Amino acid sequence: MSILEVNNVKKIYTTRFGGNHVQALSDVSFTVEKGEYVAIMGESGSGKTTLLNILASLDKPTSGEVLLNGKSIVSISEKEISAFRRDNLGFVFQDFNLLDTFSLQDNIFLPLVLSGKTYEEMNSRLRPIAAKLGISDILGKYPYEVSGGQKQRAAVARALITGPQLVLADEPTGALDSRAADGLLHLFNEINDEGQTILMVTHSIKAASHAKRILFIKDGQVFHQLYKASMDNEAMYQKISDTLTMIATGGARNE
Amino acid sequence: MSKLFYPKLAATNIKKNYQTYVPYILTSIGTVMMYYILKTISLDDGLNSMSGGDSLKTILAMGSFVIGLFSLIFLFYTNSFLIKRRKKEFGLFNILGMEKKHISRVMFFETVYVSFISIILGLLGGIVLSKLMYMLLLKLLKFEVPMGYAISFTAVYKTLILFAGIFLLTFINNLRQIHLTKPIELLKGGQVGEKEPKTKWLLTLIGLAALAGGYIIAITTESPIAALYMFLIAVILVIIGTYCLFTAGSIALLKLLKKNKKYYYKTKHFITVSGMMYRMKQNAVGLANICILSTAVLVMLSTTVSLYIGMEDVLRTRYSRNLLITSYNITEEYRKDVKDTVSNILEQHGTEPENILEYRNLGFGAAKKGDSFVTGDEIGDTLSSDIKMLYFIPLEDYNAMNNTSYTLDNNEIFLIVNGETYTQETFTIFDTPLHIKEHHNSLGERLSDIGDIVNSFYVITNDLGQIEEMYRQKMGNSDESVTYYRYIYGFDINTEDEETIQISQDISSALENSYVESAAGSKEGFFSLYGGLFFLGIFLGGLFIMATVLIIYYKQISEGYDDKSRFEIMQKVGMSRGEIKKSIGSQVLTVFFLPIVTAAIHIAFAFKVITKLLALLNLTNVALFAWCTLGTLLVFAVFYAIIYVMTAKVYYKIVR
Repeated sequence: MSILEVNNVKKIYTTRFGGNHVQALSDVSFTVEKGEYVAIMGESGSGKTTLLNILASLDKPTSGEVLLNGKSIVSISEKEISAFRRDNLGFVFQDFNLLDTFSLQDNIFLPLVLSGKTYEEMNSRLRPIAAKLGISDILGKYPYEVSGGQKQRAAVARALITGPQLVLADEPTGALDSRAADGLLHLFNEINDEGQTILMVTHSIKAASHAKRILFIKDGQVFHQLYKASMDNEAMYQKISDTLTMIATGGARNE
Repeated sequence: MSKLFYPKLAATNIKKNYQTYVPYILTSIGTVMMYYILKTISLDDGLNSMSGGDSLKTILAMGSFVIGLFSLIFLFYTNSFLIKRRKKEFGLFNILGMEKKHISRVMFFETVYVSFISIILGLLGGIVLSKLMYMLLLKLLKFEVPMGYAISFTAVYKTLILFAGIFLLTFINNLRQIHLTKPIELLKGGQVGEKEPKTKWLLTLIGLAALAGGYIIAITTESPIAALYMFLIAVILVIIGTYCLFTAGSIALLKLLKKNKKYYYKTKHFITVSGMMYRMKQNAVGLANICILSTAVLVMLSTTVSLYIGMEDVLRTRYSRNLLITSYNITEEYRKDVKDTVSNILEQHGTEPENILEYRNLGFGAAKKGDSFVTGDEIGDTLSSDIKMLYFIPLEDYNAMNNTSYTLDNNEIFLIVNGETYTQETFTIFDTPLHIKEHHNSLGERLSDIGDIVNSFYVITNDLGQIEEMYRQKMGNSDESVTYYRYIYGFDINTEDEETIQISQDISSALENSYVESAAGSKEGFFSLYGGLFFLGIFLGGLFIMATVLIIYYKQISEGYDDKSRFEIMQKVGMSRGEIKKSIGSQVLTVFFLPIVTAAIHIAFAFKVITKLLALLNLTNVALFAWCTLGTLLVFAVFYAIIYVMTAKVYYKIVR
């Protein structure tokens, strides 16, 4: 059963006085099955971030619909949307987006506190996740005291702690050195193996090569897609880079 | 590159940063204006013709000095804030290839613009308003002065020099800031990693102790003389306490709240507690400044207002009769002479004395130790001992005054105590115990002519000669001691002030060895003193409010920029706009109103000791002072609320 359904989503940005129209997404449709690990790739300006913002319900499409578990997230009222986002979606951002006024533990607790959970419950949820992510020892530290990789793991813990339907990751390795990036990607694979659905936006070939399926976006549309199937990461890497070259040189669709 | 490049860039910079520059320029204009106005008035010759004009001019000159000093500190402070905010901008210029000397040149033009606009508009405003202020002052003083008033060039000159100097200093400071930092630091400027503040228990305890000490001193001080110097100690303690508690105490409290997991991990408290912690860390000193400034404004305004409004009370306290004649010659003939002279003069003016007060007394200060009173060298330290005023009044005069026919044996007295209770059976003076035959409640009329500075004991005795003899022995028989023996003759008359003054002058020239005082005669002097203080109170109050507004405004803006990113993150994590707005709103509200609430508490504790101080200035009307305090507090709160609404708007605009 598909957990996420994106049907004919279109987004047009209009400048304040209605002068210029910029079409960020022209017609995007795809589905994500439960337990999938999907990467969305595309050049700068291809509409990746717009798409992610719409999926994250931070932005609304001009037309088209987005269904999460069969429920349209476009039509959710402004009032419920925050609670919806909190309960159903987990986010991992390129720049971590940890609050520097909170310790890592409190940062991770933030969404649970917002939904009014008790301290005991939060703590019992945190312990296995922190152990898995290897951040149990640094929970009491503050974001400025730990490395980028550790910050990103804390952010992942924050995304996972609510038990979301879908984890959305926006360039999660973008601000990490290659070692930390490798660690994070392995982590994503592990989490995915345990059944967590992940949707990642990236333009790092390496990051994308860890995903099970890759969607390529160009000029506001899904241009191409690749399944990893039984390929290993290296073969996948090669295939992705071929595809990107093809897209860049303007080759025709080979589907 | 065109010659006009730097001036143009400077102008654009100011325009681009209007949100921070406009308030700065407005404040500069305001301070220039205030300084000029006070300076002009204090230099005006018209005031020389009024009685007490000299002291008034001294007060105003001191006021203008305070304003000058304050402007320096204040403009310096706001300027450093501006530069901090703009460091990033300068860093960018630097990286884009402008050398530091070019940046300095831009900055030079900026300073020139700001100082020109401020000084010119300030002077213009000052010249326009000073006439109005002058009229207001004269109205307050109830004094008619021919309006021979023009622009004072001395004042213009002094204002120019002072503010040109201040702006030059800020410019030099800016240069120093720019030259000391590296471009990369300039770029980073505002954002240095924020550490969670540490709990400083020692400072918290010191703060608590200092504040408690200050409060206790303020509420336990009974004697006005002690109040005079104890007040100062209390003020210092409270200031220390305020700073310590704002900086360390607030954080200690928040940390305690944070430790309480049940409390901390609630949606409502979670964001607020940690947010407040950082706000307090960054703003504690600023908030303590605001708190102390506000307290100062409130005390200044409420006391000067109540002194001014309570002028009539003050005069009545100071002068128990319209006309008071005090003589140091108490012989029978002389007393008859006084009465005859007075009735002759009053007859000439076609009026009669009413409410006559006539008695002799021997008065001196003594330190109370149990039931005995010691004088002279035995008193020791005058500040720490329990000083009372003793007035010995002959029974004869007392009976005459009250139409009674009491009798007393030698060594027997009546005792009337003003301001405290005295339950002892005996009253020992000069090692001689006197038996208190009866305690009387009052003399019927206030007799003390030195107000309520210390508590007074009126001793009615049959044998004043004995007391006098002992007193002279004690004081070494010097001539000086004789002057403490007085004859007082006072009465009310139904005449206009001017005639009263005339009568008092007539009596004064007709009587030798006497000192004539009239409430009417002193009125002008009192008005020029208290009116001047009132005027200055309003002025400095205005200036301090302006300072408070600006500090708060800048705080809000800088917080706004910091909060903006936090706001975005929280939204992404799943906090709704409404929730964020509510949380931030409550934090801002707390930060905003903490100083004024604390100031109000300070005032409440200081109330009693201030009434004692006002008693020294002859104002004993506590109710009036209470109303004035409440009134100023209310006015201040309204001002504050308006500022809050205005800055909150700017704040939300930034955060959105």
